[in-house]
Amino acid sequence: MVPFELVVPRTVEEAMAALRTTGSGSASVLAGGTDLLNDLDDQRLSPTRVVSLRRLPWRTLDWTGPQLTVGSTLPLRALEQDPEVARRFPGLVQAVRAVGSVALRHQATLGGNVVRSAPASDLVPVLLSLDAEVDLVGPKGDRRVPVDRFVRSSRRVDLAPGELVRSVRLPEARPSSYLWQRVRPANDISQVAVALAFSPAGRTWRVAVGGVSPRPVLLAEPARLLGSGAPDPAAVREAARRAGEEAPFKTDRRASEEYRRRVVRALLARAVASVVDAPEFPR
Amino acid sequence: MTTPAAPIRPDGEVKLHGAALYGTDLDVPGMLWGALVPSPVAHGTIRSVDLSSARALPGVVAVGPDDLDRLLPPGPRDEERPLFPRGEVVYHQQPVAAVAAPTAAEAVRAAARVRVLIDPLPVVSDLESIFPDWPGPEAATSPHVAAHVHARHGDVDAEFRRADRLVREVYRTASVHQVALEPHACLAEVTDGRWFVRSSTQTPFGIREDLAALLGIPESSVVVEGTWVGGGFGGKGAPLLEPYALLLARASARPVRIALGYRDEFRLARTTLPTVVRMETAVTGGRIRARRVRLLLDVGTSLPGRDFATGYSIGFLLGPYATATFDIEGYAVRTNKPPFGPHRAPLAPQCAFVVESHLDHVAREVGEDPEEFRARHLWTEGDTTPLGQTVGPFGLGAAFARARRTAERWRREAPPGHGVGVGVGFWSTSTGAGGEVRLRLTPSGVVVEQGEREIGSGSVLAGLPAVAARSLGPPRERVRVEYLDTSTAPFDSGVYGSRTVGALGRAIDEAAVDLRARLGERLGGAGPVTFRAVGDRLLARTGGRELSVAELLTPEERAAGGLVVGGRHFGRPGAVDERRVVDGTFYAYRDFTGTAHVAEVSVDRETGSVRVERYAAFHDVGVVVDPASARAQVEGGVAMGLGTALTEEAIWSDDGELENAGLKDYRIPTLGEVPPVEVEFLEGYLGAGPYGAKGLGEPPMIPVPAAVALAVREACGAHATELPLSAERVARALKLL
Amino acid sequence: MTYRPTRLEVNGRSVELPGLPDDERLLDTLRWRLGMKGTKEGCRTGACGACTVLVGGESTLSCLTLTKELDGRAVTTIEVGPEDAVVSRVRSAFSAAGALQCGYCTPGFVMSLAGRLRERGAAASREELLEALGGNLCRCTGYASILRALDQLHRGAP
Repeated sequence: MVPFELVVPRTVEEAMAALRTTGSGSASVLAGGTDLLNDLDDQRLSPTRVVSLRRLPWRTLDWTGPQLTVGSTLPLRALEQDPEVARRFPGLVQAVRAVGSVALRHQATLGGNVVRSAPASDLVPVLLSLDAEVDLVGPKGDRRVPVDRFVRSSRRVDLAPGELVRSVRLPEARPSSYLWQRVRPANDISQVAVALAFSPAGRTWRVAVGGVSPRPVLLAEPARLLGSGAPDPAAVREAARRAGEEAPFKTDRRASEEYRRRVVRALLARAVASVVDAPEFPR
Repeated sequence: MTTPAAPIRPDGEVKLHGAALYGTDLDVPGMLWGALVPSPVAHGTIRSVDLSSARALPGVVAVGPDDLDRLLPPGPRDEERPLFPRGEVVYHQQPVAAVAAPTAAEAVRAAARVRVLIDPLPVVSDLESIFPDWPGPEAATSPHVAAHVHARHGDVDAEFRRADRLVREVYRTASVHQVALEPHACLAEVTDGRWFVRSSTQTPFGIREDLAALLGIPESSVVVEGTWVGGGFGGKGAPLLEPYALLLARASARPVRIALGYRDEFRLARTTLPTVVRMETAVTGGRIRARRVRLLLDVGTSLPGRDFATGYSIGFLLGPYATATFDIEGYAVRTNKPPFGPHRAPLAPQCAFVVESHLDHVAREVGEDPEEFRARHLWTEGDTTPLGQTVGPFGLGAAFARARRTAERWRREAPPGHGVGVGVGFWSTSTGAGGEVRLRLTPSGVVVEQGEREIGSGSVLAGLPAVAARSLGPPRERVRVEYLDTSTAPFDSGVYGSRTVGALGRAIDEAAVDLRARLGERLGGAGPVTFRAVGDRLLARTGGRELSVAELLTPEERAAGGLVVGGRHFGRPGAVDERRVVDGTFYAYRDFTGTAHVAEVSVDRETGSVRVERYAAFHDVGVVVDPASARAQVEGGVAMGLGTALTEEAIWSDDGELENAGLKDYRIPTLGEVPPVEVEFLEGYLGAGPYGAKGLGEPPMIPVPAAVALAVREACGAHATELPLSAERVARALKLL
Repeated sequence: MTYRPTRLEVNGRSVELPGLPDDERLLDTLRWRLGMKGTKEGCRTGACGACTVLVGGESTLSCLTLTKELDGRAVTTIEVGPEDAVVSRVRSAFSAAGALQCGYCTPGFVMSLAGRLRERGAAASREELLEALGGNLCRCTGYASILRALDQLHRGAP
């Protein structure tokens, strides 16, 4: 590991200033560190400065009507332990609990997971299914970007120099579910995953999948096939079949493309059953 | 209020307070940190290894092939295993030089500064790319063949021609890693011609011998001291880092520590590599008439003639089933991977998986009840094995019968979609090259002086005191184990092969007989000597006479710290019938240890995921020496076997690089994947250890993949012929893909 | 800005760390700067749990934590004395159940359980204790004896 300077700013202004490096310098942002520090060890990243967000006042959970705003440095563990979040966003909590171990989730953050945007992220599919947006602060002002546009590719996000993710905003409570397939159930990386959510306001479904290349995606056609309420079994079968065809699955050492295509069908059908059976599902 | 029970683990307190120091914890003033310089390719011709930029860094010492003559005595060194290759590198990350620096970070930087120029050569990573089918005559001259073994008896072809049914299958098993949680680590110091290394090793004397050969120095000038060992599982039985640490210590005149990061632990480990097994079985009239077994075993860059694995493992493909007529042949195939090395019951679980799955399949093909069919053919005491050994006391049949009763009950209780499987396996208590101990009788107790360290199984810290207490007679809490380094300890072969309690226990028993005889003489009474503890004194009694041990010792003995008596055990295995051996070395068994396991699984028919719901293990152990350790060995072995069965697989790329080095992508079971394990011991079929005890390190691992595979087949009909039974492989067997 | 060395409270003892490099991990600070070798280095990627310690009472992977970020915080390790009642309870349960073999993973298991028990106290359910150990790998025990210790802790909750 190449030595770097650690900066732990207390204000957003200090943080943005710290991100401005000169000459050949480069800066990385440290939130929970559970992913970044691996990259530093392996020298996939060799910044001269690391800016820690730990002391910024962003470990927050705010409700505004139906909206939930999660501060970007809130540890995942705090998110999963909030009963109201579990009730209104069951898929989100299922996905959070799929990340690493309890100790890891004491450190890892939602903002960090989105910014690092690992292709096998368990959280990005759920955020897509919930139509989440990220709130950015930066030298040129604040912006709000849907996660679907923010995450561009594998480990590539729409973040300008000096910009930081302040929070992740979930516009409405949604009956939702997150299901995954792994080599080992506990503490592993998902081979394929389905995030499913139903928007009560728009009476529409969202289907997102993980285990695809280069990054998790929303699938429009399967969502449409599920209709505007509890779908009948034929619609579920058809949506599941389409999900298996439509998603850009890949072959890697964790699974083959054809296995992923086969399994996503089962996961989607199960996710629909779990969402429709929940008491919060609008009749 | 109840009195707390005596602790099950004598090492509990030290480990629960973080006070046990392992190889990774070694730290002395003035120490340098060592690092190996790895080959960036798996095969290539070395053009140059330039250490000058590394040496230019302050405080850095670097050694390469050109430094050996300068640093080592002129004596002959093992030329087949040079510390640094001169001509070709043959596996990815093979050390081509080594560096040491005042800090870990500086050592890493120095290693990165070594300029290694290598012209790449074609890499052979997959044994089936060399021999896609069974090799023909070209194998005799192929540079890829490291060893060949062949044995036969009777006319297999004739039996095959006249058989009712001939069943042919091909099986494949994956490479698995030991995953001791502590990576390899050692600390070396060279002073005044004394080559001293502290290491978390399973075999202090074994690595002393190897280090002397590798470095070309006399064994008497090498001293190995063990530390606490953070798990071994066969992976810490040969020198890995020690020669480099010694070389760097010699070059720097400073103590040098080397510890592997966990990814390098995977890349450099010597472990179980892939196999392809072809099974052919002829059945006539409900009996197996003949079997042909052909094994291709990837041995990495194991040296020709040094391969033990092929002849060793191939025996597990013949047993434990009676076969009058057979033809068994195996090739050790060289690939560009690190050399093959032992992994708890090397290849025995894989072989049991193949044999059990195949015979289950054969039975189904001929319309027989598979368990009945297998039971009918099991070896029993007095049988002759295919290689001509007579089977000794063997509890396998009894274990299988117990397992089947449990399986029948579980089948009645199991919900739909579950399956139950019974797998068997066998093992033999190893003797290694023998072992010795000293018992020291002191006024307050007994000390077992010996050279092994506790690796976790309990064999040294719980097993040896249990034997000493039972054979000699003092209360167990008055028996203490003392670790000695190789300069003062009596010789022993190492903690491996389920041999520790078997061999050192016999040595203790021999010493105890001697010691009791001497005390009996001094007491002058008739009958056996017994002991009791009063306060901090130990009293000995025979007949009506009782004296304190202090009174029984001579003044010289008291001055020397006690009465010391040695014991040794150099057991010999039986012999195979060499008339049946066509080529190579086959290994004979010393005793016959049987085990039968029952697994109940549920299978997700849409994803292929297997969940093990219940598990039971029946073990023929001869005699249980230490009940808590015995149970713990079985529970741990089953969990390790579940990894081999379901999730563990080291994957090499075509370039010979390990793709999933590290614990994120190589998945050992977590506590969520291991079901409760019911353990039952069958005593009375006596083996090679003290009182007839049989080894229990390896056996618990052996039947696990077989039991799981057969349960999966019963649950959903999937007949998977590859390990591990990943969800994707089960899905393929279910024809979902 | 005036320079002030990073301070930690380690097992109740205040520790100053002058000259602490910015990139140093808590694992390395404990082991090599403070000489506290009880916390073990395993995978160094957050996948094995061997290096788990408590930071502010919460289980934390010391291999993935920069020490300097913890300025002013309390760290508890396996070396903590009997004054830590929760760790002592976990130790007693492990000792009685023989819930260890080679012992290399043991500090991580003890600290993971202690963190959960400290957080939840008597209310900790068996499921919660199991969840707390999901990231701790053990190769020797097959987890059976560890689960027996866990059940003592669960049943033994006041």
